Amino acid sequence: MQLSRSTIMRLLAGAVVVAMLAGCAAVAPAAPAAAPASEGAAAAPSVEGAEITVDYMQSGTYDKAAEALKADFESKTGAKVEIVTAPWDVLNQNNITDLTTGTGAYDVMSGEFWIATVFDKMLPLDDYVTRDNYGSEFIDGIWAPGPSNFYDGKRIGVPYSADAYGIWYNTEVFEQCGVEANWETWDEYIAVLDTLKTCLEGTDVAPMVHYFGQIEQPAAIFLGMYDGYLVDKDGKYGLDREKAVAALNKMQSLLDYNPEGVLGFDFNAGNAVFLNGKAATMVGWPSFIRADADNAEKSQVVGKWAMANFPGPGFPMVSAWNMFISKDSANPDAAWEWIKAYANPENGTKWMAEYGIGSPFKATYQDPALLEQFAHFYPAQAANLNKAKSLPWTFAAFEAFFRNEGDFHQGKVTAEEMLDNVQKEWDEIEVPGALVQLAELQGLTQK
Amino acid sequence: MTVANQPAPRHRRKWVHDWPWMVAFVVPALFIVVIVQGYPLLFSAYLSTQDWILTNSPSSEGFVGFGNFVKVAQNEVFQRAVRNSIIITGSAIVVEMLLGTGLAYLASGSSWPMRIVRTILILPLVIAPVAAGTLWRMMLNSQMGLTNYLLSFVGVKGPDWLGNADWAVVSVIIVDVWMATPFVFLVVSAGLTGIPFELHESASLDGATRWQSFLRIDIPLLAPLLLLTLIFRMLESLLSLDSIYTLTLGGPGYATFTMTYYIYTLGLRSFNLGLAAAASWLFMAFAAAALGFVFWLQQRWQTSQ
Repeated sequence: MQLSRSTIMRLLAGAVVVAMLAGCAAVAPAAPAAAPASEGAAAAPSVEGAEITVDYMQSGTYDKAAEALKADFESKTGAKVEIVTAPWDVLNQNNITDLTTGTGAYDVMSGEFWIATVFDKMLPLDDYVTRDNYGSEFIDGIWAPGPSNFYDGKRIGVPYSADAYGIWYNTEVFEQCGVEANWETWDEYIAVLDTLKTCLEGTDVAPMVHYFGQIEQPAAIFLGMYDGYLVDKDGKYGLDREKAVAALNKMQSLLDYNPEGVLGFDFNAGNAVFLNGKAATMVGWPSFIRADADNAEKSQVVGKWAMANFPGPGFPMVSAWNMFISKDSANPDAAWEWIKAYANPENGTKWMAEYGIGSPFKATYQDPALLEQFAHFYPAQAANLNKAKSLPWTFAAFEAFFRNEGDFHQGKVTAEEMLDNVQKEWDEIEVPGALVQLAELQGLTQK
Repeated sequence: MTVANQPAPRHRRKWVHDWPWMVAFVVPALFIVVIVQGYPLLFSAYLSTQDWILTNSPSSEGFVGFGNFVKVAQNEVFQRAVRNSIIITGSAIVVEMLLGTGLAYLASGSSWPMRIVRTILILPLVIAPVAAGTLWRMMLNSQMGLTNYLLSFVGVKGPDWLGNADWAVVSVIIVDVWMATPFVFLVVSAGLTGIPFELHESASLDGATRWQSFLRIDIPLLAPLLLLTLIFRMLESLLSLDSIYTLTLGGPGYATFTMTYYIYTLGLRSFNLGLAAAASWLFMAFAAAALGFVFWLQQRWQTSQ
């Protein structure tokens, strides 16, 4: 839908007003006028002379990979690429503002289910995928709805990173204590923690560590322990109360196995404990620690760590950044060429080696040389990725959950009271259609 | 002779003569102020009465009157945010005013050591709040942070600063105090240099102690400056978002979730323009009430003098 200039100005002014009053700055992109987008083509047209703008999170990883690709892409296609980077929050704000105002400033956008409220404004990619026979090289679970973003049954996103929550363990400590990392459920994992606790008594090594102080993270453990629905029969956010209470209480019991002060641990603190050999296991994002764990300058556990199965009955949370093409893009063909150039098996492996970006491609995990080099990591990572799921929560819904969960960890409320508080906030939230679909496709709706 | 026949006073004539120039200079500035401040305010007032979630619709979905205000005011998270803001700002500005004033007295004088001390004391002013929050987040880490490490030298086991809800509030207050005390210090230092030395000399000759001079001479003379500083600090502390964002992310749970954080999440995460605008107006009303309270206190103090 095209908007008049005055409507666009009113919308942008509205966003600015809110930002001003909130005491912070909104970043509303100024953009050239939008042009209608084509919905795919029969043959790959030339994109020479096209100019596209692509955006990535400012992370020193995805954006660096884009920078590395730019010159080669430009020389091969004749298209010009502008790379825009922004921190996570600002990136989402930029994309959402751009799409809702129809400005078309960004041709290729980076995002995940957090921006599901604007999925209807993304270009369906099925025609491109079919035309170029693209997609068969991805890990099946990552190419499926969830990690891959869909709207109305049509593909709108191409994943270019893949990371799934996992459990790391110190092989030396496990050997000393005579335990094995062969758990399938959280109860089995907790039984191992019990053994470790007894074995490690009197030492400064904790059986487990997680960044409980990184307030949005512990929800991933809850999701691993909980096997109920996340969206109810009416299409509203909800939880199976009995299962949720049990999962929350089980999760709270994990605190006993963590080092003192763990409720204040952020990513760095949690990772450092494991890297310093002060924890026998760690629950977290592999991509945040893998490169450091194998670096002797930063790690005391080089050659002494491995990754294990993320236990059930719930699922490991996935982080799979997708590239989208805005419906307002003036150059969707060039945008698609960029996506293909960025996300392919060769670059997936390269980005993983150079920037630590989890590869979404099967080839990376099947390469004999890499498989040998990363035998302690790849098989478990690939298995966890295959069963990983995307959250069908909006950020507001997620925030309602993790903040109340924080109160629960602090002992301010019981599990039941926490769920009541969460539900009260969720009742005010409208679930975007794209996320209801996402929940259905992943089996996360109430039966 | 009637009054009308008398010639107008010279200064009046001059004013009359100059007013077109004054208008010419003032009107553009006024125009800019109206556009830059008036329009957004009016538009946000309009927004606050609309049902408008930007991600749902590119335009408002209807007039809701005061519905958004009622919804926000009744929201438990907002109520907690108000309570947190009062605790954080109230505690921080009291400490900042006392500490800043005290330091200004201790570091007064024109000797070079004092000049160096003054320079060092104002350094936190030049550090961006985002950087300050990040810096303190590392320093307050209960396991690896500098703060608990230093406390261990004096036999004190430091608390779990950021992991415990109550200590997290204290941490936010500490960072606010660290960032803003130099401002109070700077203003009071400047104020002190403006107080004539003769006043203290006379008081001393009359037998006044240093404390009595402070109470009877310095405080009354500094009062307008202190009031202004207090107002600046109060508003700035209430508006603070960046340092809290990087220090605690508003957590643990809702422990340090303030009003500005609430508005931020409504406006720039949920894109609920109607609710965010209503919350902003409630925030402004709250800030205005707090300012009114300060002025009321000042008036009472002046009356009692």
